[in-house]
Amino acid sequence: MISDLWILATASLVAISCSMVGVFLVLRRMSLLGDAISHSVLLGIVLAYLIAGSRSVVAMMIGATLIGLLTAWLSNALHRVSKLQTDASIGIVFTWFFALGVILISIYAGQVDLDQECVLYGEIAFVPFDTIIWGEQDLGPRALWIIGGVFIVNLILILLAFERFKLVAFHPALALSLGVSVSFWHYLLMTMVSLTTVASFDAVGAILVVALLVIPASSAYLLASSLRSMLWFAAGYAQAAVLLGYALAVWLDSSIAASIAVMAGVLLIVTVLVLQWQKQRHGIKVKATVLDDTFH
Amino acid sequence: MVFMSTFLKKSSLIGLLCLVGWQSSVVAKPVNVVVTTGMIGDLVLNIGQKNVEMTALMGVGVDPHLYKATHGDLRRLQKADVIFYNGLHLEGKMQDVFEKLSRRKPVYAVTQDIDEQQLHRYGKAHDPHVWFDVALWYAAGQLVLEKLIQHDPQNETIYRHNAAQYLKQLSKLDDWVEQQVSQIPKQQRVLITAHDAFGYFGTAYDMEVRGLQGISTATEFGLHDIKALKELILARKIKAVFVESSVPKRFLGALVAGVNEVGRPLKIGGELYSDAMGLSGTPEGTYIGMVKHNVNVIVRALR
Repeated sequence: MISDLWILATASLVAISCSMVGVFLVLRRMSLLGDAISHSVLLGIVLAYLIAGSRSVVAMMIGATLIGLLTAWLSNALHRVSKLQTDASIGIVFTWFFALGVILISIYAGQVDLDQECVLYGEIAFVPFDTIIWGEQDLGPRALWIIGGVFIVNLILILLAFERFKLVAFHPALALSLGVSVSFWHYLLMTMVSLTTVASFDAVGAILVVALLVIPASSAYLLASSLRSMLWFAAGYAQAAVLLGYALAVWLDSSIAASIAVMAGVLLIVTVLVLQWQKQRHGIKVKATVLDDTFH
Repeated sequence: MVFMSTFLKKSSLIGLLCLVGWQSSVVAKPVNVVVTTGMIGDLVLNIGQKNVEMTALMGVGVDPHLYKATHGDLRRLQKADVIFYNGLHLEGKMQDVFEKLSRRKPVYAVTQDIDEQQLHRYGKAHDPHVWFDVALWYAAGQLVLEKLIQHDPQNETIYRHNAAQYLKQLSKLDDWVEQQVSQIPKQQRVLITAHDAFGYFGTAYDMEVRGLQGISTATEFGLHDIKALKELILARKIKAVFVESSVPKRFLGALVAGVNEVGRPLKIGGELYSDAMGLSGTPEGTYIGMVKHNVNVIVRALR
């Protein structure tokens, strides 16, 4: 049925976009940035509501995107300026934003049903119903267009600047000495992360986005021997999780997003077990190199 | 030729049989109605009875704020002939989905015809919990009746008959609630619950309503709110506060402990149904049963 195709297409694009930026987050030990953004967007939607006076999708998306960007940028800046660990910096920024959002709600909007769960997070099962109508023409689901646009931007940036991203991710010192602006590329990456997460929240809800940012990239990390192969493996794992998860959701009549996240986890566990089993059987380290500074 | 004519006769006979079969299947086939909350489902079942097949997306005891769609819900909405939802943002972001869907199939918010003046407004948003004013729910019932007739005009008389009987029960219920609540002394007629679901109830039956939480179950209450409530309880000699079936009980525990500390007896008066009805098959599993339960609990504890 056509609606199943729309759902699968949306889920696939979300999965591939998230796993692509997820690879860089995992390598930079910032994988919970997505989780952080899922909380801090509360401040964005409260501000958007107070300024625009409505809970329309457009206002909520703009507010969430801006605060998402700010969360990523500020976490990064705090880490660089104060030399705090990345995880601590993320933890400081997002809890502070979330708390600010809670206070603003109790002052200005205590009687309004305003939280990210009900105004921002989408439900992937209903993606086929929320279509863009242009004149008489039905152009397909809105969420698919948004996440499709984000996917193309991500893809182009990674293809064009692959070497730069690699250099900055693994050899920041070398990059600096070559005159490459490390902070420019970091902030660009942070921008991609927050755009991808907010667009994905709108399409499929929070839990799946957080899962897809971390799990496929981690599975890929276990197998890959280069950045390029890690990106391919991550995309493959993400796609497999979408197909298996969708089948699970149809079979159990359960939430599609949760089923995909569960299957992503199952694939990771299977990968770990297979690697362990091979290690014991052959008595060798299957993956000798670990993606780190020594790796090209 | 003979063969040909018998064949024609046969086929026309078969065609006729098919036509009869098809027509009778149209008549017998119930209208497939999908609703969001159990309360709306109850309205639809009482008015549609055997002529509708009703599915409620939000199960028993599910807080609409926490509802998660399953894969099957997509199919249920696609196969539905008519869809009813509450509106006023009770369903959150799903409301956008329903508004979009209404361009393609009959989708109605049961609150869509309620006069703006009768709605509680908070800034630009409305309080969605209209069902606790039985008169407003009566209006929702009239909308369900009108739309069912519009969709299935053949059974208009049946729907009208069912609705007349059910709506009569709702009017009686409305009078009964008013009469019951009036038994509580005016001074102590304050309903304190964990979340603000009883605003319409308060307006309709002349009862002051205070909630610890805001409309959204995600809002957290401030220290100031607890202190103000404690002072109100002491000043007005209120005997009980109430917990709700879809909101955790511990929220009110602090308040009760605080008042008892001062040496005034305050009890938890019982559990009220707010955003969802009770188990199906029990009296509280129907709208009327739910309202009666709530009113009995409130009146017994505060009188």
